[in-house]
Amino acid sequence: MEFFRKTLDPVIALAIIAVLDIFMFLIIGAWTVGGGETMMTGLAAQAVLGDELERIPFWTLVFEPDAGYWKIYISLGMLFGAFVGAVLSKEFYLRFPRHLSEWVLITIGGLLMGFGIRLAFVCNVSTFFGLTPEMNLGGYLAISGIIAGAWVGSLIYKKILEA
Amino acid sequence: MSVVGECLVAFIFGTVVGLLVQRSRFCNTAALRDAILFKTFRNTKALLVAMMILTIGFTTFITFGDGNPMHFDVGLNQVVGLFLFGIGMVLAGACTVSTWVKTGEGNIGALWALLFTFIGMFLFSLLWSYNYWPPAPAAMTGEPNLEALQLGYSNAATLQEKYGIPAIVFGIGQTLVLLAIYRAILRKERSQSQGDVSNS
Repeated sequence: MEFFRKTLDPVIALAIIAVLDIFMFLIIGAWTVGGGETMMTGLAAQAVLGDELERIPFWTLVFEPDAGYWKIYISLGMLFGAFVGAVLSKEFYLRFPRHLSEWVLITIGGLLMGFGIRLAFVCNVSTFFGLTPEMNLGGYLAISGIIAGAWVGSLIYKKILEA
Repeated sequence: MSVVGECLVAFIFGTVVGLLVQRSRFCNTAALRDAILFKTFRNTKALLVAMMILTIGFTTFITFGDGNPMHFDVGLNQVVGLFLFGIGMVLAGACTVSTWVKTGEGNIGALWALLFTFIGMFLFSLLWSYNYWPPAPAAMTGEPNLEALQLGYSNAATLQEKYGIPAIVFGIGQTLVLLAIYRAILRKERSQSQGDVSNS
């Protein structure tokens, strides 16, 4: 099938996603990822810590672990859809970062992303595909933050590439 | 809609998104990083097109009081949080979407990034439980609270309510700004390709 042989134009892909996101906005809410990831973190922490988790107020006042939280399933759907796409296009294979420096960068990057999402209540998806199109003030604040952050991150990345 | 129905709709939507992002190689990190570092705009243009469609779509429905806009107070935490996130996504080489999509392709580095995103969230939950900032959703009032560095709640619906102008009018204004950025990128690409031709 042609779809699985050629790379799709990202403009077409994102235009389709945007139209579907409008339907999501009407049915349950705009596309977002960070909320689902936070709930997964809470569920994982609950599985490990049990009732001890209640001693951390965040997990009772902000995000009470709930497996029925719909945003979790957007993330799981993305994982499944990407897996199907990769298998059908024969692009699925295990890839590992080759250098220790890559593992370190990914670790720091992941920690900053997780911390940043919860501090801001939003991730990049909510910023560009939810808040800003809703003309929420938070979208403009978040865009100014993410552009500044990407710029600083790019400078660091460039230094590392040059080294 | 029932909880199961919501989860099912979300899963179907996520599956289509995962498939389209995998097949198109769209990456939000690249949309910002490549524009800043390499002056290439393949992903940036796609991001802008999506934002234009969404702005018109969302503000049209908001005009008639439909849709489910996100509802929480905003403030300094959005700037600082996304600043940290922006650094993190460039260092990790993936954002929230591409970590899931690349994991689905078998990328163990992306899976590692996801794992540490979860750990970062848990570490934040410990800090929040100590300083209670930013305010929990239940404590939000929608009004500015400068002591907590919060500016309140404002979007196309509140603009419509305050000024009596339909939300779609503001949406068209924002779309024109996004279109102007898109056209500026096209002009930049044309001048880059002309430069390449004259150098060859």
